[in-house]
Amino acid sequence: MWTSEHKPIVGVFGFSGCAGDQLRLIHMEDELVSLFTTAEIKFFHMAQSHQEVEHVDIALVEGSINTKKQLEELKEIREKSTFLVALGTCACFGGIQYLNEKDEAFEERFRHVYGSNIKKKEFIVGEAIPPQPLCNFVKVDAMVPGCPIEKDNLLPIYTKLIKGIRPQKYPAPVCVECKLEGNDCLLLHGIPCIGPVVSAGCGAICPSHNLPCVGCWGPYEAANYKSMIDKLEEIGVDKETALRKIKLFGGSKAEEELEKVIK
Amino acid sequence: MKTYKLMKEDFPQFLSLLQEKGNLYGPVKSKNHYSFEKIDDLSKLTFDYTRTLMGLKKFVTPPKYKVKHFDKSGSEDVIPEDETNIVIGAHPCDIHAMKILDKLFLGQIKDPYYKKRRENLVIVGHSCLPDENCLCTSTGTDMVSDGFDLFLTELQDFYLVWVGSSKGLFIIMSSEDLFNDKIEMCDIAEYTSWQENRQNSFKTTIPFHLMPDIVHLIYEEDELWDQFGEKCLSCGTCSLVCPTCNCFNVEDKILIHADEVVRERMLDSCTLPYYSVVAGDHDFRPDRTKRLKLYYTHKLKEYIGKWGQPACVGCGRCVTYCPVGINVKTVSNAFYEAIQCVREVKKI
Ligand code: SF4
Ligand code: SF4
Ligand code: SF4
Ligand code: SF4
Repeated sequence: MWTSEHKPIVGVFGFSGCAGDQLRLIHMEDELVSLFTTAEIKFFHMAQSHQEVEHVDIALVEGSINTKKQLEELKEIREKSTFLVALGTCACFGGIQYLNEKDEAFEERFRHVYGSNIKKKEFIVGEAIPPQPLCNFVKVDAMVPGCPIEKDNLLPIYTKLIKGIRPQKYPAPVCVECKLEGNDCLLLHGIPCIGPVVSAGCGAICPSHNLPCVGCWGPYEAANYKSMIDKLEEIGVDKETALRKIKLFGGSKAEEELEKVIK
Repeated sequence: MKTYKLMKEDFPQFLSLLQEKGNLYGPVKSKNHYSFEKIDDLSKLTFDYTRTLMGLKKFVTPPKYKVKHFDKSGSEDVIPEDETNIVIGAHPCDIHAMKILDKLFLGQIKDPYYKKRRENLVIVGHSCLPDENCLCTSTGTDMVSDGFDLFLTELQDFYLVWVGSSKGLFIIMSSEDLFNDKIEMCDIAEYTSWQENRQNSFKTTIPFHLMPDIVHLIYEEDELWDQFGEKCLSCGTCSLVCPTCNCFNVEDKILIHADEVVRERMLDSCTLPYYSVVAGDHDFRPDRTKRLKLYYTHKLKEYIGKWGQPACVGCGRCVTYCPVGINVKTVSNAFYEAIQCVREVKKI
């Protein structure tokens, strides 16, 4: 890690997503002053007009990679940073834009949206490529999923990082927070919640309001997709719908795991 | 043990008495289930329930709490304030579970956070009738004779009030006109008939007395465990709702504003993926089957060696709340049946 002799240098970078995670940082009003005084924020696309970056100790990177230009920039960020944190579900897993990536019809969809005359190269943001999470291209040191991130999840990791302490990961599914919030389980009442395969962090907001989790915090590391699908089928959800639910925010991680369990 | 009669028409007065003595908690219906909640409006209380989602452990090992505060001048324990929290409506299995937690947290090493919360707690038990998920006759926890301050057995027109501690007795003595210590023969007859009727209403039994040896001997029979490992969602529910499961994780949170750190404990579960990771990143239980083996051998066998009894009180919470039907009942029955099959084939 870095020494504490100098204030850690932090960069906040954004790729394709709704920019909600950067906005969330700016919305941490109680902590905002500390955020800018405990570290030297060298690059913050949304919050600063003057941008320069040679090296950052901590890179907070939002969004998925959707163009070749973004890919080059991501690689540059990786080279120039010591510790790279993927911020939000898009950066961690690909986000909703990853959906249908595997059906190999990217070109077709591209033309459907932008017309057949346009060449992909003509975009000023670079040539479009199928959306991918950061970890499919570079080493990601920590993931803070969320749609958008919650400050209670980011801050404990961030404050460790600026002190030069490596954060520990301890993944749990939404169900853990659901129990701690004092809910019983929607699945027991025939409501198709996919909390068991989704990363905790939101505080189980949806089940706490009697709504099934749709998975916006991305896949839980120990997700048992086979058993999840069996359970959804048992309560009357057909397999196709079950898969669609899981894939909605599941990104490339869920896709890979699903390929293993579905023959 | 002193025993009194409390007439049903005096019950509201008894509840008000409890409210005067401290913060009153009791079972209320909350969405689809029951939960011990703070009672401001007495009409919310309901005693016609089988089990709460969380047992009494939420009063003594809350889901998340601060234990220490560090700053540049040193560190300080965060011990809860003195207060009286009275929980009414706990069933015998809940009280047995509390006795198990007491052994663990207040044994040779006393956990100061637990100790304070426990001292603050007054338990007023309440009689219950079982549903098909209750296993307490198998676990021997269907009756309770200590571990509570007061215990109410609800009969036709009155409650039989059993006094279990001096705290309980003080409550009675502070409003003696509500209680009558003359228990007539016909009251005893009514109580006995109620108790017999209750005993006859248990529908589910499991071979619990054999389970400690069975889970131990069957430990290496992976295919028996795998049928559960393959289904388990690693969702943590079974242990979070189990009234005797008490594992917690500890996290130091550095505050961004200042050079201060808050140390927090939060309920943990041995079914979660990184539970058994040790220094150097070695994981003793990387797969679900191994984690379930830990859960069941610890609960049904290993606990006995250390604390003199298994850590299951038959409350049926795992039976009710595991979304894929992995629980003390299904695991015990599956192992027992597998053994029975061999017995039949080999005529043993
Ligand atoms: S309601 Fe959803 S999140 Fe909550 S325990 Fe059930 S499956 Fe898990
Ligand atoms: S969809 Fe799931 S992960 Fe997203 S906020 Fe709701 S409960 Fe949380
Ligand atoms: S193992 Fe199940 S039945 Fe036994 S005490 Fe725990 S939750 Fe209750
Ligand atoms: S409740 Fe069931 S699915 Fe969840 S961890 Fe426990 S055994 Fe596994």
